[in-house]
Order: sequence, then structure tokens, then C-alpha cells
Amino acid sequence: MSRIIVVTSGKGGVGKTTTTANLGMALARRGKRVAVVDADFGLRNLDLLLGLENRIVYTAVEVLAGECRLDQALVRDKRQPNLALLPAAQNRTKDAVTPLQMKKLVAALEKAFDFILIDSPAGIEMGFQTAIAPAKEALIVTTPEIAAVRDADRVIGLLEANDIKKKYLIVNRLKPAMVQDDLMMSVKDVQEILAIPLIGVVPDDEKVIVSTNKGEPMVLAEKPSLAGMALDNIARRLEGEKVPFLDLTVPHDDFFTRLRKLFRGSSGKS
Amino acid sequence: MTSESPASASVTAIPQPAPEEDLSLQIRFQREDESPTLQVRLKSEGGRLLLLLPPESETSNVPHTWNDVWQQLKQRLNAGDRFWQPDTAVHLIARDRLLDGRQLQDIAEALATSQLVLKRVYTSRRQTAVAAATAGFSVEQHSPIGHLSQPSENGQAMAEPLYLETTVRSGMEIRHPGTMIVLGDVNPGSTLIADGDIVVWGSLRGVAHAGASGNTRCLIMALRLEPTQLRIGDFVARAPEKPPSQYEPEVAYVTSEGIRITKSTDFSKLRLLSPQS
Repeated sequence: MSRIIVVTSGKGGVGKTTTTANLGMALARRGKRVAVVDADFGLRNLDLLLGLENRIVYTAVEVLAGECRLDQALVRDKRQPNLALLPAAQNRTKDAVTPLQMKKLVAALEKAFDFILIDSPAGIEMGFQTAIAPAKEALIVTTPEIAAVRDADRVIGLLEANDIKKKYLIVNRLKPAMVQDDLMMSVKDVQEILAIPLIGVVPDDEKVIVSTNKGEPMVLAEKPSLAGMALDNIARRLEGEKVPFLDLTVPHDDFFTRLRKLFRGSSGKS
Repeated sequence: MTSESPASASVTAIPQPAPEEDLSLQIRFQREDESPTLQVRLKSEGGRLLLLLPPESETSNVPHTWNDVWQQLKQRLNAGDRFWQPDTAVHLIARDRLLDGRQLQDIAEALATSQLVLKRVYTSRRQTAVAAATAGFSVEQHSPIGHLSQPSENGQAMAEPLYLETTVRSGMEIRHPGTMIVLGDVNPGSTLIADGDIVVWGSLRGVAHAGASGNTRCLIMALRLEPTQLRIGDFVARAPEKPPSQYEPEVAYVTSEGIRITKSTDFSKLRLLSPQS
């Protein structure tokens, strides 16, 4: 039985696609056969993040139209043979694929893969409904911002109504220093609202931009960044391993930061 | 009965906004729709469960699409899961709602996941009756008006309390023509509308409207009251700009000056004392 997991968030730009690409790669590196499915029809990005754009010949839409076989549309990763991408069509809109067709596509993938990760589009309209239709589990990505958390909450409600019982929370782009200074929602604040199990906290990291531009998922880096490690840990937790959460507190409360805090505390709030 | 008692000193006032700040909160609140009854309801009656669907849009201002009905049904089933006995028979009161065979199957399957069995369909529409019969349910077709299973929409009797064990999440709106009890958090972006009291055993962060049909003696209670907005009858209040340093169970009620909030421990005393004063 393969695990079918949708990565979703409600709000756009919180890191769904980056998370999907990295988790897919991390799981594949751990020996699992992984298919990542881009369900963001019309605004596909997953191929870019994996650096596979120039290898796409067919997409999911052509498979459904009977113009090619499923295995012809699947793009094997150039670095990791366990990972395959089912690309979305770029020239269509979100209505190009119906929930029922999505279910069929994923059912066909089930035979050959252990994990099927579906990258959902932002929003809660048809494209989202299509993306979640085949899923048995969901990863909800949010950033510690009120708007993102509010949208995530809405999405969790919709997932519940669609009988997706297993839901895990990923808090992305956390800035520990800002949390410590009480300028950003903490993971605990987010969890208090969303009330679903936490599977990972990914710190904000400039390396994400570099890795996105290069099409090299962060988990592949030889000297992994903190964000890369956090994503790798999420992959391990998905497999059921118990991995302690990374310590993201600001490492050195040195003399200068203390001085700065003191300064801010005494005069900053006026 | 409003509480203009001496004990009102212990009452935490919600700061009334200055008129130029927000006029809509000064004027008495107008309800935007007629009745909060128009949602999917599950009601037990003589050992069976009645599943009442909201009528088709002509009688209500808020049209209920099949999708709305479906989500309300899933919500109510999930929130009441613990209370159904396995294999309880369910009678579907579809009223004038058109349902096709597929939708009836969906309803039956949703009920089945909560171990409930759809037995009988009541409808006033011929097509629904035919679809239900084809799908293998026993059917009772009746004329649109004056059926005894129809809730007394002109009567004043309140429905039995609605007990929900769930997190009410952003985007959800729960309406009930009686008292509502939520065991769980009510998140920002959600709305509770009840004709009776609202009791939240958890944090109330969304909008709550008690006494929605005009009863200003209704109450809103929560273990942690940090609402977006409170409404009782036709009064409106919003939470103080500055959140209290410490939360404890509180009760909101209407006085001659508008909605007031007090600690639950003080509230019971206030209630007991006020008749004497």
C-alpha cells in the first residue's frame, strides 16, 4: 500500500512546492520509490524546483487524453532514480483535470511507488479539490503569520469534511530570533489554533532561494543547511521514525544581543 | 432580566467605541437573515435519528448548494461521532430538496462511516422520491405543507441543545435554533449563531451570536473568551483592544448599557443576588 499525501496550505507562497520537492527527494534518498505529482495546473513550478523542466515531454493532461502512456509522462530524476515527477500542463487551467481523473491517475501510480506526494495549488477552489481528491494524508504547510494560519485552519476544516483524517503540520520559515523577541508567532501559538500534530519546523533560510534557482533541492547539499536538515527530519518522521526536533533557539545570547535587548526594552517601546 | 445590580462593579465592561470610530457597533444590530434554523440538523426522535436538510433556496435568503449541505452534514457527523449508537436508523427529511440517486448514495455512505443506517426518505418532490426508491430506500412522499416532521418554524419552542465535539475552524458557520454547546475551540474566522445560549468549553476566538431571534437574556460562556465579536439578541460588542493578562472562564450577558463580561465565578453570585436587589 503506497501512501498518498497531499501538500497543501490555502495561502500561496508559504512553501508548498519547496516542501514537496525536498520531501520527495529526501524520501527517495532513503530508498523509497517516490512520485511527486504537480497538481498546480496552469502554474506549475515543481519541475523547476527539481531542475527537471527541460526533460518534460508529456504531462498529466496528455495521459488523461490518451495521447501517451503514464510511464511516458513520468520524468525520472537525473540524480535520484527512485524519484519521478508527474508534471502538470502549463498551457491549461485548473479545470483541465477533474477530481475523478486525478483519483484515476494516482491509482495508476500506486502500483509502482511507495510514496505519492501531491503538490496542491493555493486556494480552496476546484484545483484544490482536485489535488486532495485521491489523498489519504495531508501535510499542511503554514508560516507563522496570521493570514497563513487562518487559511490553513480553513483548509484543515475542508480536509476534515473530505475524510482526510491524518493531517500533519509543518511550520515553515520560522525566524527564531523574532520569536524570541516576541515579534513573530511561535510554533506553540500556531499549534494552539490549528490543533493538529506537528511534524516539523523549518527555519527561514536564504539558501532556499539559491536551491530553488538552481533546481537543486536543499536536502541534496553536501553540507546541509538547517532548513535542509529540518526537511530531511520531516521525511524521516513521515516514515515513522522518532526524530527529535531541531533546537532552533538563537544559539548565543551574547553580550551584544543582551545589550541590544536591554536597549530595546528601555526605549524601544515608546 | 438585566443586571443593574450593585454587583455590577465586578463586571468588566467592554469599552464602547466612540461614535466616529465605528458607527455600526453603536446602532442596534440588524440580523441579515431570518432564521438560523436553515442548516443540516440531526435530531433524535423515538430511538431513531432524523436528518433534516435545509429546504431548497426559495424559502431562505441564503441558498444552500449541494456542496454546502454536504459539508454541513460531514461537519455535524464528525462533531457528534461519539454519541451515535451503532446501527441507529436514520430517517432523511429531505423536504422540497431535489436529490439525485448519487447524492442519496453519498448521504448513505457518510452516515455509514458513522455507523448509521439510512432507512427511510421523506420528501415532497416526486423526482427525489423516485431516485430514493431506485436506490433502494423506503420512501414516503408527502405534500409540501403541513407535515408533522417539519420543525415548527412558526412556533416559538426552541430546539433541543446542539452538542458538538469539534474544533470550529475558519470559514465554518454553525447555526442552531436552540442552545449550542461546543466542546473544543472556536477559531477566528468562524461564526456560531444560536437562538439560545452559546457555551464553549474551549477558546472562543470567532464570532458568537446568542439569542439570534431576539432574546437578549441569552448568554455566551467560554473557558477562554477572546472573541472577534460577540452578539446577543440585537446587541453587538467586540473584544477589548487590549487582551487581559490572564484568561479565565467568563460569561457575556446583556445589561441596560450593552454587553458585559464577567468572570464565571462572579456571574453565578450576580445572578443569585440580583432578584433581591
